[in-house]
Amino acid sequence: MAGGNGHEEHTKWVMVIDLDRCNGCGACVTACAMENNVAFVGEDENAYGRGMHWLRLQRYWEGEGDDLRVRYIPTMCQQCSNAPCEPVCPVYATLHSEAEEINLQVYNRCIGTRYCANNCPYIARTFNWFDYEWPEPLNFQLNPDVTVRRRGIMEKCTFCIQRIRRAEEDAKAEGREVYDGEVQPACAQACPTEAIVFGNWRDPNSRVRQLAASERAFKLEEALGTEPKVIYLAGGRHEF
Amino acid sequence: MSQEKKLTRRDVLKLAGVGGAVAAVLSGCGPMSRYVRRKPYTDMPEYQLPGESVYFATLCRECPAGCGLLVRTVEGRAIKVEGNPQHPVNRGRTCARAQASLQGLYDPDRLAGPWAAQKRGSRAGRSLSWDEAVQVVAQALQAGPGVQFLLGLVPDHLADLVSEIATALGAPEPIRFGGLALFEARQTLRQAMQAVIGQDALPHFDIANATFVLSFGANFMETWLSPVAFSRAYGHLRRGRPDLRGLFVQLEPRMSMTAASADKWAAVKPGTEGRVALAIGRLAAEMRDGVVPPAFDVDAETIAAEAGLDMALLEKIAHYFATSPRPLAIPGGAALAHTNGLETAQAILALNAWAGNFGLPGGVQVLPAAPIYEDRNAASLQDMADLVRRMKAGQVKALLVHGTNPVFELPAGLGFAEALEKVDTVISFSPFYDETAAQADYIFPDHTPLESWGYQKARVGTDRMVVTASQPVVVPLYDTKATADVLLAAAQAVGGEVAEAVPYQDEVDFLQQALANLMDSPDGIYTAVTPKAFWGRFLQHGGWWTKEPAAVQTFDAAAILQQPLEVPAPQFDAGEFHLVVYPHPILGDGAGANRPWLQETPEPMTTVMWNSWVEVNPETARELGLRHDDIVEIRSPYGRVYAAVYVYPGIRPDTVALAFGQGHEALGRWAEGRGVNPAKLLGPHTNAAGDLAWGRVRVSLRKTGRRRPLARKEHLVGVYGDGVAQ
Repeated sequence: MAGGNGHEEHTKWVMVIDLDRCNGCGACVTACAMENNVAFVGEDENAYGRGMHWLRLQRYWEGEGDDLRVRYIPTMCQQCSNAPCEPVCPVYATLHSEAEEINLQVYNRCIGTRYCANNCPYIARTFNWFDYEWPEPLNFQLNPDVTVRRRGIMEKCTFCIQRIRRAEEDAKAEGREVYDGEVQPACAQACPTEAIVFGNWRDPNSRVRQLAASERAFKLEEALGTEPKVIYLAGGRHEF
Repeated sequence: MSQEKKLTRRDVLKLAGVGGAVAAVLSGCGPMSRYVRRKPYTDMPEYQLPGESVYFATLCRECPAGCGLLVRTVEGRAIKVEGNPQHPVNRGRTCARAQASLQGLYDPDRLAGPWAAQKRGSRAGRSLSWDEAVQVVAQALQAGPGVQFLLGLVPDHLADLVSEIATALGAPEPIRFGGLALFEARQTLRQAMQAVIGQDALPHFDIANATFVLSFGANFMETWLSPVAFSRAYGHLRRGRPDLRGLFVQLEPRMSMTAASADKWAAVKPGTEGRVALAIGRLAAEMRDGVVPPAFDVDAETIAAEAGLDMALLEKIAHYFATSPRPLAIPGGAALAHTNGLETAQAILALNAWAGNFGLPGGVQVLPAAPIYEDRNAASLQDMADLVRRMKAGQVKALLVHGTNPVFELPAGLGFAEALEKVDTVISFSPFYDETAAQADYIFPDHTPLESWGYQKARVGTDRMVVTASQPVVVPLYDTKATADVLLAAAQAVGGEVAEAVPYQDEVDFLQQALANLMDSPDGIYTAVTPKAFWGRFLQHGGWWTKEPAAVQTFDAAAILQQPLEVPAPQFDAGEFHLVVYPHPILGDGAGANRPWLQETPEPMTTVMWNSWVEVNPETARELGLRHDDIVEIRSPYGRVYAAVYVYPGIRPDTVALAFGQGHEALGRWAEGRGVNPAKLLGPHTNAAGDLAWGRVRVSLRKTGRRRPLARKEHLVGVYGDGVAQ
């Protein structure tokens, strides 16, 4: 198994997002783009719905007038255990990693059929309709750990797998386990309200495990049986 | 081929041309040419390994809050901004603006070196050498009392240094100003604190430890004072304590991103916030012990009717304020931006006085200042109006601008751009060609923040003294020069008293001397025996702060309750609709508009990217026959702009709203010609503390018949049913 974290079974990475903490500030959206070399596409392409955001904030209006309320749900690839995107890929570009139990996207296999995006109930996948520019010297900021995608390639949130790998390799080199909290995807790391927590489900003492025990826990579109690995904690409600 | 010469852009290209064989890396000692030097791959510092990241602790300069960053660099390039987990303001967290700050560093439209405009407003001009530039600055400083420095709210060290130079020149104190300051009402807060606790200090609101937060228009999770710190506190308020979920109510005419997280948003009529605070005080006092202090001697029902709020709602709010263990009332920028803003601030702080929470956990606190120089506060709009008056009278011979963009930010009604024509010499130190730089005679670009030395003191958002260190994380990309070094060289060239007043070898030497007071402090997280050791630790930790939170300092604020508080009726211009102008939660005061990923990050409430919009209540839109994306003319007594309609459920029917930050006429390819600048609608009016009373402005809307689809992340059909055949 990868990583050498010493558990009987391999790791199962899980994200918990506390919607009662989330204030919708958008830091996660930008942080994700900065970490993962996500291209910006400009106004017109965004108006066509071709934005490349791996992570978006869904804003819901509830009620009207004096009773108006807002809910935010940060939504990214839910890393389904039973992922609808996987069986439809004709070239095995979107497939399951045994080691991390993550949905991988293999860019150099992808031929751009977009079947996976059509089949994703979470609208988590974005497609490179064009080659997008990083005019010099803006390309200096590109993360060397993350592939820069070309035209015709599907992409999506990877749970910052480069960071998972890095932590696992560091732990292996030091002959120890990856400790809880060592791996932080860019969104969780930036989150000003500490709403996003990431960790290993198989570690019974991990924070994600404890948080997910909350009665507020739910998953998006649970009825579809996709078994997402992003767990949301419902926002609070106090009637005035 | 180790080289220590300054780099021109051409050199950068040349080096890059060697197939990346040369890396720019930082080495630990020596000047800015001593401190930062370029090395070839074959002779890299030992900490620099191919494929390994090197992290530098530094300061975020995207707003004045003073958050600490760790910037990940790989082989001399800055790759990712992360929060400094040890830093007492942000504890490892960052906002979107900090994340995108790399795109300021790597903006392709940055200025590559000193430059003289052919004439103001023209993009034609010629490059200068830095020797010539220093001579120009020295020449400008000869104007002595006619010199005026105009600085941003960040960094503090430059304001401290410039203040010494200004004193020696016999020039007026430097003015510190920024677009965010327009909307924060800092001067109003300070004066209200003076009235309530007798101390001229910026208040810190301990949201984390409160149990009931009642905010009057404070956009504290967006841009106000210290948004990351307040956001952290908000997370704690909600879920940081096992058995206690703190409650949060926000009163304001337009539901801001901050209010979107509230348990209750109440659309109070603009300008009535102060009176509403008094009414809540009265009801709360009646509920708690029946003793209504003279300050709250008002008729709650009349006020509820005035403010357009349900009496039942006011009673509920008052109930929580009276019974919650640690209630906290926050006077925010929007509530204070009326002609009665100062009185409103006092009324809201009086609620805290009544709750007796001044200085206590979960209350209003005053943080001690770190013992380096005195605070140099943000100017109010009144101070800027005085500056405009002096400029028009020909009293300002040389205006030196750094870290702020007044031509873009100031209300059109103030006439700053016209006054600028009366100034003999205008020098901008902006790294970007912004609107103010465009109106300057010379641009002597400073390094961008991630290439710069400095410090910033945190005055709110934490519980202790904090001085954050700013250090370069990469070698400066272009032939830019630290403004502090330019001014020091110019002061030497002027000679005499001026040179003697600033006897510093360079910027770093100034910093080391300024920080000397901290070295021996036993309260610091570290101590050092020698200045050099202290400097090393200062950079390593990303600043200096105390081990322990500041001692609890309580204040007797009861006196404010013993006299009647009069909140006069707000004054309004003629017009159909109230106007709410708020700093864009993602772009800030507009300085972020040249970062493509900030433009691409959807504004949280509307999900709009890359443009401006005007928020109109659905009811109002129906009456005016307006739909999503219809372009309307928005006219105020001071100007007009055109923007696409966003039918926004979270706003009063008698109010429309515009975000501030777009509408740039300069600032590079991603900012220019995009959206509108609401400053064009604003007048010069202030509240009694001198802060901008933008709430006075009223506007009219006119349908133009044109449409412009906004780029949104949400889908109109799914969210609003709009666009479906009707």
